[in-house]
Amino acid sequence: MSIANRRRRELRAAILLIAPFVIVFAVFFLYPTYKVVALSFTNAPLIGEGDWVGLANYTKLLSDKLFFTSLWNNLYFVLLTVIPTTVIALLIALTVSKLRGRMQALALTLFFLPYVLPVSVVTMIWSWMLDFQFGVLQPLIMAVTGKAVPVFKNPHWVMPMIAVVTIWWTNGFNVLLLIAGLRNISPDLYEAAALDGATPWQRFWRITWPLLWPVTALVLTLQLILQLKLFDQVYLLSNGGPFNQSYVVLMQMYREAFQLNHGGYASAIAMVLFLVIVIVSVLQFQLLRMGGRK
Amino acid sequence: MEDTGVHLRGVKKKFGAIDVIRGVDLDVGKGQFAVFVGPSGCGKSTLLRMIAGLEDTTEGKIEISGRDVTHADPADRGVAMVFQSYALYPHLSVFENMAFSLRLAKRPKAEITEKVRAAAGILQLVDHLDKKPAQLSGGQRQRVAIGRAIVRAPDVFLFDEPLSNLDAELRVQMRLELARLHKALGATMIYVTHDQVEAMTLADTIFVLQGGYVQQSGAPLDLYDDPSNRFVAGFIGSPSMNFFDATVVDHSAAAVVAQLDGQPDLVLEVPVSDRPETGTRIVLGIRPEHLNVTASNGLRVTVDVAEELGGVSYQHGTLEGGDAVIFQQAGARHGMHGTVQTVMPEPGRIFVFSADGARIR
Repeated sequence: MSIANRRRRELRAAILLIAPFVIVFAVFFLYPTYKVVALSFTNAPLIGEGDWVGLANYTKLLSDKLFFTSLWNNLYFVLLTVIPTTVIALLIALTVSKLRGRMQALALTLFFLPYVLPVSVVTMIWSWMLDFQFGVLQPLIMAVTGKAVPVFKNPHWVMPMIAVVTIWWTNGFNVLLLIAGLRNISPDLYEAAALDGATPWQRFWRITWPLLWPVTALVLTLQLILQLKLFDQVYLLSNGGPFNQSYVVLMQMYREAFQLNHGGYASAIAMVLFLVIVIVSVLQFQLLRMGGRK
Repeated sequence: MEDTGVHLRGVKKKFGAIDVIRGVDLDVGKGQFAVFVGPSGCGKSTLLRMIAGLEDTTEGKIEISGRDVTHADPADRGVAMVFQSYALYPHLSVFENMAFSLRLAKRPKAEITEKVRAAAGILQLVDHLDKKPAQLSGGQRQRVAIGRAIVRAPDVFLFDEPLSNLDAELRVQMRLELARLHKALGATMIYVTHDQVEAMTLADTIFVLQGGYVQQSGAPLDLYDDPSNRFVAGFIGSPSMNFFDATVVDHSAAAVVAQLDGQPDLVLEVPVSDRPETGTRIVLGIRPEHLNVTASNGLRVTVDVAEELGGVSYQHGTLEGGDAVIFQQAGARHGMHGTVQTVMPEPGRIFVFSADGARIR
């Protein structure tokens, strides 16, 4: 069989194999993405065509105070979750990796369990536990502050509490990634370090930390992207309130699109959030990689 | 001068209910090259790790350089270890790998540079100091691991099967380098291997381990010439010794007369002072190099495989009874494949063992 013939057959097989994914990807991802970009330059309602308005939606966004409040709340939430959840996951992973056999599997399962819950169940559990009148956690809050706090109706408490719920919910996945990273570090290295006279503290900072860094950087980046996309927890727990203190960019997009019927404007918000996520996460990943290389 | 030897007294190790080391006494003198050798699972690596302090000692006493270190931290024992996997820190350069222990000890920069450079000089690593371990070949990584040990200037070097990840040619080369290094440094070294050739070529003293006990210890050729039991006899020497079941049929002045099973027309006279009674079942051990082809009466071997190495040939075959036999011949191209050969052991080169494996002298 000639080479050209074989090439053609290989090409046919390749196309056949990637076609299902490419088609689904194009119909449900590429085309909608294109539509969002196109919509953001029009004054279209949610359904139906609109007129081309150029950059009008974007200029309007720049003078929208609520948008900047939302963006600020997003960044505040990132600050509250990304590094804390990574640190907590690392501490849990280090502890769990010290356990043996079944105990380790059990501990891992327990920490992973919340992650399999749907967000509606998570928020329901926590809104009950934190209920102003009957919540089981209110005595704890009372012990600290001296009085019960309706956390999701208090402007100071709302974002930190949503962060706590989110960390509780998603931490198991980070623990899993970090445990996998820890298992990749050969136990021989710790023995060699022990013979070289390293204390447990030095063993962590000179071996575990640098060798785990690629995984830690991955966890930080994944978390950053995930937490910038915050919507469900806010929508279900506080609906953006009180006084817009938990209003985030996706909340605003949702309201503009599905409650105010401003398809074009909502698309512009989505585009800006998309750009923010791309820029921030690429920037962070590059910074983290540089940090790991030195 | 201070004794930097290693001394073990009644050392035992249990993993749960399993006894791995069942009571080991051994002495490695200052500057000696000792080799622990034995089959997989004999406890040789465990024993080495106990000396290093990486495994707890259940019972007994470990003394290094005149100090009781049975329960001391690994770092406080004055030992350095070279791991089978090399255990190089992958994120650090060769220089930093070798400098690791000195940095932890907060030594001055100039001293660190000097010591690492000196070790790198001995091991021909000077051109590779800035590389990461992943950029090095297997042999170079091995050298870095040794360099890391040298830099610490320990009383005792411990090697855990350090050459088993190298290819055959490199292994021979590194073996020679280790022997030279031992001469150059004059430090006490304890080396674990399952390869009896490594043991024979490197050791001042070999400790043959099996079943959690030291079966025999001594200079390599002493073990070869005078094994104290059937296990050591079979383990030391390559290819390993032939064993034949036999029965004592008669006594002579200073010997027993033994008849091999399945060889009714052949009796062998073996001089031993401790003569078992007539009718006792014994085992005769004869090394392949002590079986000579003869034209007269002897053991009839059907040769089925010939390993020709050029200088020597190993003829593998079976006796009429089905026992496997190996005998060695000088030179090559004997064309014995498929033929029946008659061989006789050299007189005085037959070892006698009791049925339970103990040597009868």
